[in-house]
Amino acid sequence: MSAVTRSASAPEPLSPTTGEPVSTPARRNRLGIWLCIVSDATGTVALLVAYSYLWSLNVNSAWAPPKDAWADALPFWLIVLGIVVAAVVMWWGVRGIEAGHRDRLIVASVVASVIVVAAFVGQIVQLATFPFGPSDGAYASATYWLALATAFHLFLLLFLVTAILNRTRRGLITVANPYHARLVAMWVTWICVAAFLGALFATTMTVSPNLDSPSFGTFQE
Amino acid sequence: MSDTAVIHEQAAVPQPAQHGRPGGMLRHTSIITGTVAGLVLAVITYAIGSHYFVPWGEQNADFSQVGLDALVAATYVAWVIGFMAGIGAFAGPIRWALGHDLTHADAEYMAGRGQGKWRYWKYTTDHKVVGFQYLIMAMVLLGLGGFLAMLIRTELGVTWAEVFDPNFYNSLIGTHGIVMVIAMIIVVAGPLGNFIVPIMIGARDMAFPRLNALSFWLLFAAVPPLVSNLLLGGMRDGWTVYQPLGNQAPVGMIGYQVCIIVFAFSTGIASVNLITTIVTMRARGMTWNRVPIFAFGILGSSIMGLVWFPMFQYSQILALSDKVIASSFYIPQMGGSVWLYENLFWLLGHPEVYVIVIPATAALLELMTVFLRKPLFSYKIAVAGIAGVVGISSVVWVHHMYMTGWAPAAGYPFMLSTELISIPFGFLVLVMLGTIWRGKVWTRLPMMCVYAVIWCKIIGGITGVYLSDVPVDQYMHGSMFVVAHFHFMLMGAGLFAAMGAIAYWFPKMTGRILNERIGSIGFWTAFFGFQLTFGSMFIAGLQGMPRRVLQFDNAFNISNWASTIGAYIIGIGMLVFLYAVIHSWRNGQPSGSNPWGSKSLEWQTETPVPLENFPVLPVVTSDPYDYGVPDPYDEIERELTDEGAESTVGAR
Repeated sequence: MSAVTRSASAPEPLSPTTGEPVSTPARRNRLGIWLCIVSDATGTVALLVAYSYLWSLNVNSAWAPPKDAWADALPFWLIVLGIVVAAVVMWWGVRGIEAGHRDRLIVASVVASVIVVAAFVGQIVQLATFPFGPSDGAYASATYWLALATAFHLFLLLFLVTAILNRTRRGLITVANPYHARLVAMWVTWICVAAFLGALFATTMTVSPNLDSPSFGTFQE
Repeated sequence: MSDTAVIHEQAAVPQPAQHGRPGGMLRHTSIITGTVAGLVLAVITYAIGSHYFVPWGEQNADFSQVGLDALVAATYVAWVIGFMAGIGAFAGPIRWALGHDLTHADAEYMAGRGQGKWRYWKYTTDHKVVGFQYLIMAMVLLGLGGFLAMLIRTELGVTWAEVFDPNFYNSLIGTHGIVMVIAMIIVVAGPLGNFIVPIMIGARDMAFPRLNALSFWLLFAAVPPLVSNLLLGGMRDGWTVYQPLGNQAPVGMIGYQVCIIVFAFSTGIASVNLITTIVTMRARGMTWNRVPIFAFGILGSSIMGLVWFPMFQYSQILALSDKVIASSFYIPQMGGSVWLYENLFWLLGHPEVYVIVIPATAALLELMTVFLRKPLFSYKIAVAGIAGVVGISSVVWVHHMYMTGWAPAAGYPFMLSTELISIPFGFLVLVMLGTIWRGKVWTRLPMMCVYAVIWCKIIGGITGVYLSDVPVDQYMHGSMFVVAHFHFMLMGAGLFAAMGAIAYWFPKMTGRILNERIGSIGFWTAFFGFQLTFGSMFIAGLQGMPRRVLQFDNAFNISNWASTIGAYIIGIGMLVFLYAVIHSWRNGQPSGSNPWGSKSLEWQTETPVPLENFPVLPVVTSDPYDYGVPDPYDEIERELTDEGAESTVGAR
């Protein structure tokens, strides 16, 4: 919904701090969140590069965890599924508030909060129950960090969706000013992508293709 | 102009409920509460951690204390979190989540209204205050890094004795390197990007004022862990801290790693803020081809910082993880790779050179037009040069790894890309020369800096082309030649440009003119010392002297004596320049609002700059460098005056 359409029906509210129409800071916020996503994406790419690089090299044949105890794939995908559902629900809520249905955003943010809590707890449980420790080879280290990154994302997301719930309940997110909810929905969507990529790498790139890796030495002599 | 009128009628804007006095919790927080909270949390963390989690007496295979790395890391993290909480950084997000939105009075309090000089020590959101905070921080870091450089040169100059313990000397090298890199990254983009750019583009503040304060105070919190490394065994592996040396280093290394992780957050946030401000908050009429070149420089620098700093950050997160929880990203016997570290590190490590140099160069391009009273020579080529550097900087990092053995076949493509980047960078030098060409120079201190920087860029640029060649690099790498080269780029082109930029914008920031005589004495003294120091270092490098050594052959004595004398001369020059800054700040000649007669927007508002920058938001109607081009409004005014005169004559 464009600002023009809204302003035809009702005067656009003004930002209390700057006095601008709220769509003006909303434009800035939208670009800001895109830039945050770019920055976070670069960090995620760094982790994925680390994972795939070590997977492809299999340095000193030490990529695999002890006894080939790879992580179970199911928890990764269940967590991704949870985040995807949370994202879909948040967008459903955002569309609702834009159409004038405040209750839809409240319901959506409650549901999303519950899902994110469940996903976060699931992520912690997964971290605690991996069949290896972070020091059990390169795969174990890289997988731990992919899971930790998702846990960090979920923790941040939990703060954001519960804040949206509270702000909607208090009437601060309205049909004329739904922008913060939209920003959070954009962020959840990015978290879906990040979690999906992490799960994809951790579950499909397990056994290294480099089974005859040269010895790179230990640098300990 | 109706929008502007609405902006100032704050009373007409409905306000959310005011919770308590304006400013809320931030009324009670400052650098003091931040420091106390940081120290308290750090001490508590250390006490609990050492009591419950560190089995004192148990040693690792390298005889280090088991658990000490984790304890030190947790203590540093506790310091950062405690400091940020204590200064009030979390108040904004918590208020937002609770639905206690800021009122206009809250926003004004947070911007520092009515708080006098105390606002410089608080979580203040006004971009001008943040600009000053960055300026002071940059000066402190430059002073610290310079002092460490003096110690290093003392060691190398005293060829007949050993002044420092070798391990401490190595730590001096590493700490000097990273302190100076951080200082140079912030020295232009921090003070001037924050103070000048919003006014220059006709905005009232940065896009995200609270993030602006956050970025500065994160930087502030990141510095103590870095400096404290000298007390905890030091960082002995240079500022690059290659693996697995970093992993085998004493716990002081953790201070470096925590510092970089936090500093990268700070830079990312600052980049988001600067990009958003420049893209979305330009004054009406300021189309992209009217944006001052300095704003383009800051934009380019911020884009590089935004995209590449996370790589640097993750290189250190993973290194910290290897050290603290014994993961194996960089430990070969456990499946890690040292090349992974080098790739992640240099993915930022090289663009960082341009993060430093591009805003500094753009600042000089900006001020040249003023002191030459003519338009920038080929504005579009300058913009293309900045864009080219930003783009190509992402594909040059491997030239730092020619000799590591990583992907030898990649050497030649990266040699080509590295040489290619000299083309857009050369654009910027050519624009400088073209602007000077046939100009009537108003020779003031900022212009002297322009000449100095052109000289340094030519020397640093040409020697950089040598080093980008794989065959030459095989001989030169790891030598003093490399040290001299990058000092010509970072210090010669970066720091001298920063001095010129600060001299130029000093009147707008402080309301006073920088003392020209004392400033020039300091500047030229430092410049002379610089040539002596690093010119001699080129010779030592060509003779074959390796870098990062404590002892060396007598054949290198003369060049090292000369370098050390030059370094002391730089130190004297910088102290004189610092005196000029402080003296002028307190007692300098009042400048008025536009002492240089500049046409750009920041000079059109009054000095000192009011809290909201402009009484009425400006509308831009001409290019920023239309010196010598007739002003259309002058024409209209003249015509009106002529008509008036004619009608008067007719009436007679």
